[in-house]
Amino acid sequence: MSRPGRDDDPDRLYTLTGGRSRAETDAFDLVTLVVSECEPATGMQSEHVRILRLCEHPTAVVEVAAHLNLPVSIVKILLSDLLALGRITARHPRMTAGAAQLPDTDLLEQVLVGLRNL
Amino acid sequence: MTERPPLRQLLLALLVSLIVSGSGWLGAVYAAPESFRGETAWGAGAAAFLLTAALVTTAHARGTIRQLRATAAARDAETAARDAETARFADETVPEVVARLRDGAAADSALAATGQPQDEALRRVLRTLAVEVGRGESGKAAAMAASANAAGRMQALATSMLADLRDMEHRHSDETVLGDLLHLDHRTAQAGRLADSIAVLTGARSGRRWAKPIVMESILRGAMGRISGYRRIRLHSAVDVAIAGHAAEGVMHALAELLDNAANFSPPTAEVHVYAEEVPAGVILTVEDSGLVMSDVALRRAERAVSGEPLDLTSLSGTRLGLAVVGCLARKHGLTVSFRPSARGGTGALMMIPQELISRPKVTATPAPAAAPERITAEPITAERTTDERAAAHAPAPAVADAPLATAEHAPAAPADEELVEYGDSGLPKRRRGRTLAAHPQSVTRQPRPSSSAAHSPAESAARFGAFRRAVRGQGDTQPEAPAPSTSHPEDETP
Repeated sequence: MSRPGRDDDPDRLYTLTGGRSRAETDAFDLVTLVVSECEPATGMQSEHVRILRLCEHPTAVVEVAAHLNLPVSIVKILLSDLLALGRITARHPRMTAGAAQLPDTDLLEQVLVGLRNL
Repeated sequence: MTERPPLRQLLLALLVSLIVSGSGWLGAVYAAPESFRGETAWGAGAAAFLLTAALVTTAHARGTIRQLRATAAARDAETAARDAETARFADETVPEVVARLRDGAAADSALAATGQPQDEALRRVLRTLAVEVGRGESGKAAAMAASANAAGRMQALATSMLADLRDMEHRHSDETVLGDLLHLDHRTAQAGRLADSIAVLTGARSGRRWAKPIVMESILRGAMGRISGYRRIRLHSAVDVAIAGHAAEGVMHALAELLDNAANFSPPTAEVHVYAEEVPAGVILTVEDSGLVMSDVALRRAERAVSGEPLDLTSLSGTRLGLAVVGCLARKHGLTVSFRPSARGGTGALMMIPQELISRPKVTATPAPAAAPERITAEPITAERTTDERAAAHAPAPAVADAPLATAEHAPAAPADEELVEYGDSGLPKRRRGRTLAAHPQSVTRQPRPSSSAAHSPAESAARFGAFRRAVRGQGDTQPEAPAPSTSHPEDETP
């Protein structure tokens, strides 16, 4: 059940997204890291401003949602808008930290051995 | 002139005429020669009789006329008095009784407090009138109270439904479900606005009171969310003022009605633009549509509806409640609403929010300048790499995940002159709006053990962040992502 005063924000979620409930891209999941690419400009939606401020350092989508106190799906829509305008960039952490990106351990071992042999 | 009884007058006239005509007759008979005496006597007798009859008749007629004149004068006086009383009845008594009844007095007390007319018939008319008007008034008051009560309940229902929907929207992450919930949310918001309108018109208390000032952006979006065509509304607002909590609902509702009007009276594809502008007297909200230009008559009618006059229920047309609602709200909160032709080709509605309703937010802490030099300049993050694949192809493993760690290291160097840190329910420090993690005054939060923070703070934070991510994903297979091993990437530490 709802508690009185719980819903203490007059703007409804659909006004934030213009009625959309689905992000146009599927570039975002919960842990996608978002970095802002520009300073907030005047006249921007306040959520966009907050996202840009928040993402001056790479921040996960789920963290953005927690700070904005908005559902993740809504945040994804807001982020996809910003992404379409090139104001943020997004990347998936698995791709950067994943073992596939690092040189093969065997190779590294061989290099190490080679260095020691110098 | 002395009034004599007509009979005496008649007898007097008869006597006088008999004496005169009799003496005339005698004179004529004696004066006539012997041979004509018989005829003369007859003729003179007839003449005398005629004369007498004429005189008597005349006298009688005069008496009657005098009597009738007197009667007529009396009647005239009586009629004038009655006219005066009737006029007083119509001009003073009845309006007074009706006014008392409209103020809520019962029929009997209203009658007792008003001077009663002398005339019995008028008294009866007044009583019937008072009883009927009193019944009508109490019926109207009962109907208004019932409507206000029902509207209040509908408002409460709508409010709690909106709160429930907001809860559900936070709970269900499935996009289809969320879409349906948003749809319901919108419908409920419109129903709530209708209930608000009825409440305003019936004089009930306004539905919600916000406990805090509401910023202009939320006011505009709150108003926009309550109309069906909200997708066509474009907001242009750069003012950063807020509306006092007690008036925010009224302003939002009035603006919603103006927006609804603008959206309804413009082509279904045309946009409606809302501008907020700060002026010395307050804030002006302008709603401009590109629909029909209102005629002079319509403009005047609209101006009258939103003017400060008390609401006349008879002016409600049944289908168009919006402007009457705006008028009520304008009167209540001191808003000024006017209409003019719009430069966009349609009608422009202006709403002035007076300075008393405006509260300026406290100057928010500007984004800490210390954060600027720490801006991560991680090379691989460029504008064109928006998809996972591209990022994967180009990323030379900069371990973006440790960015928070790097900034955490920098944090103690940040100026510690910020206000004290707020702690949320979870015991974790709350981040303020517009502040980044880097700008967060870590040194303040960790004052009890400042020396240790630099030593194991990165590892600690790394572990926390990894745990956070795993918890969020709700699966244990993301272990390889734990960023702890990569804390020593040198490029992250260069400011």
